[in-house]
Amino acid sequence: MNGTVTVLAASADTRRGLTIGLFAVFIAITLYITFWASRHNKTAADYYAAGRSFSGFQNGLAISGDYMSAASFLGIAGLIALYGYDGFLYSIGFLVAWLVALLLVAELLRNAGRYTMGDVLAFRMRQRPVRTAAGVSTIAVSIFYLIAQMVGAGALVALLLGIRTGETFLGMNVTTAKNVTIVIVGALMILYVTVGGMRGTTWVQIVKAGLLMSGAILMTLFVMAKFNFNPSSLLGAAAEQSGKGDAFLNPGLRYGAGDWKTKVDLISLGLALVLGTAGLPHILIRFYTVPTARDARRSVNWAIGIIGGFYLLTLALGFGAAALVGTNAIRTANPGGNTAAPQLAEELGGGPGTTGGAIFLAFIASVAFATILAVVAGLTLASSSSAAHDIYANAIRSGDVGEKDEVRVARIAALVIGAVSIVLSIFAQNLNVAFLVALAFAVAASANLPAILYSLFWRRFNTRGAVWAIYGGLATAVILVIFSPVVSGKPTAMISDKDFAWFPLENPGIISIPAGFFFGWLGTVLSRERDDVKYNELEVRSLTGAGAH
Amino acid sequence: MTSSDIRPGPEAGPGRHIPTADDYARMETDDRFIELRRRYRSFAFPMTVAFLAWYLLYVLMSAYARDFMDTKVVGNLNVAFFFGILQFVSTFLIAYLYSRYANRRLDPLADELNRDLGGRQ
Repeated sequence: MNGTVTVLAASADTRRGLTIGLFAVFIAITLYITFWASRHNKTAADYYAAGRSFSGFQNGLAISGDYMSAASFLGIAGLIALYGYDGFLYSIGFLVAWLVALLLVAELLRNAGRYTMGDVLAFRMRQRPVRTAAGVSTIAVSIFYLIAQMVGAGALVALLLGIRTGETFLGMNVTTAKNVTIVIVGALMILYVTVGGMRGTTWVQIVKAGLLMSGAILMTLFVMAKFNFNPSSLLGAAAEQSGKGDAFLNPGLRYGAGDWKTKVDLISLGLALVLGTAGLPHILIRFYTVPTARDARRSVNWAIGIIGGFYLLTLALGFGAAALVGTNAIRTANPGGNTAAPQLAEELGGGPGTTGGAIFLAFIASVAFATILAVVAGLTLASSSSAAHDIYANAIRSGDVGEKDEVRVARIAALVIGAVSIVLSIFAQNLNVAFLVALAFAVAASANLPAILYSLFWRRFNTRGAVWAIYGGLATAVILVIFSPVVSGKPTAMISDKDFAWFPLENPGIISIPAGFFFGWLGTVLSRERDDVKYNELEVRSLTGAGAH
Repeated sequence: MTSSDIRPGPEAGPGRHIPTADDYARMETDDRFIELRRRYRSFAFPMTVAFLAWYLLYVLMSAYARDFMDTKVVGNLNVAFFFGILQFVSTFLIAYLYSRYANRRLDPLADELNRDLGGRQ
């Protein structure tokens, strides 16, 4: 194993110095932006929604920065490098999902709501139960996602700096280095959010989106140039180097042929990916940062263009890594394939041991670091906004709270949620990152999306329906995952020495999403509550923008 | 504004009339609003069904029609590759079509109704 890991450790001192230098430059720039942004934050609308002052293009970039996590940059490129075609399935689901947001959610939510997802869900309902449910689900989804990103950050930075087991770096062994990384990432995200609010966080995401796109475009050009810009020769070389031959280019390597379960699992995953995005709270609150519904539409259009373009680039990166670095070398460096993109960068710069390789690798490593920071800041902001606005201001204080007080609570919530996630991430380092992300998407699709769609389009929908949809979808998704083969019963499971997995699928979506819709319907028809006056207001406001914030 | 209201209500601003429940109720039965809602739903709902069906077809074929997906089309590029790329193309196309439709058929009417209710613009 050591032979290939040294790919990353070659010229370690130069490269570490460069990587840390680039990290430091990015941190300095974003901190400057954060403090600059804080001088423009005066009201609650500034803190939660950046004064609704961003343009459609700026917000489109920020949405892309919020959405393209390290999981998509390193994860998808890695999946393609290891499993070929099946990695591509992820990016398609992640992209098509944006049409749900564009056609059904973005504009109507922008007009109807104010700061949080809970604003729309509770619009015509009894406030306390619905606000509480919306807050619980927002915080649950965001924390699953947040821990996934931070655990990933720890593992990744250790890997990118080339710190191996038994080695020390600045006097730290691997475990300490990972923990230190998690604490630094956590401290930075708390700083971005509490000081910069939505305005600072948005700018961090814009800078990151620009960096990530530049890095991906640059690498793609390098890769394609090596194959005379002919996709067919790239795929041919990838198939050859993967050792799998033609099967590498066909569906089925990861979602194996034969067993019915893996095929149903593929469909279940496909559903969660395509329906989860429009229920992710940290994405939804981005629509409040623009002045009108039309700008919200423009933001989504830009986001679709940028994210779609990016996923097409990851195709070149993933197959390029397989062709140039080789699937075996990637799997030996990291079994999940997460280092495929950095290894490819080193190869493109001139190979291990060269200055060009070291520079390119350091650049891509710092892009990955920037990616993680921007995403965790967005998640911390979404969950702390919901804690302050939905739970504290509206559920606990029944709306009787001053603007300054509410923002103060939001900052405290960001600090608490940030601290809790640092601690959870340090203890959760053995959790599978992909499992946490899949769980976040499944809960968003099963709990949030049914409640949002019913709220916007179903006149009869009421408090009990909303509460049942959220808790019903949330509980179904979480329970099915706990009793799935991801948690027990398989050698790769979290608890591999026990077997209580009676649910055969890894992804709960195919059951839990219909369950969320069913509970929302059942709760609604079992309650006699109905508020036509408020539904008139919601419908007119969401479609015309009259009375929108 | 010094306190946060229980239900999200419109923020007061210079030159802005805040629509009342009566205004909203009147607009709800206004023929122009009914037309706006019809135009929006008649595009958004069928299109959602269409792209979800198209996407599910892709996922189902990736799972159950692997022989067909493995057919080579040009060089090393197979049906699965082109089917995947077509999902990107259709996503870009639907986003473009919806925006064009909204600019022409939804926005002017929504603006007119918004003005009638005393909102922005």
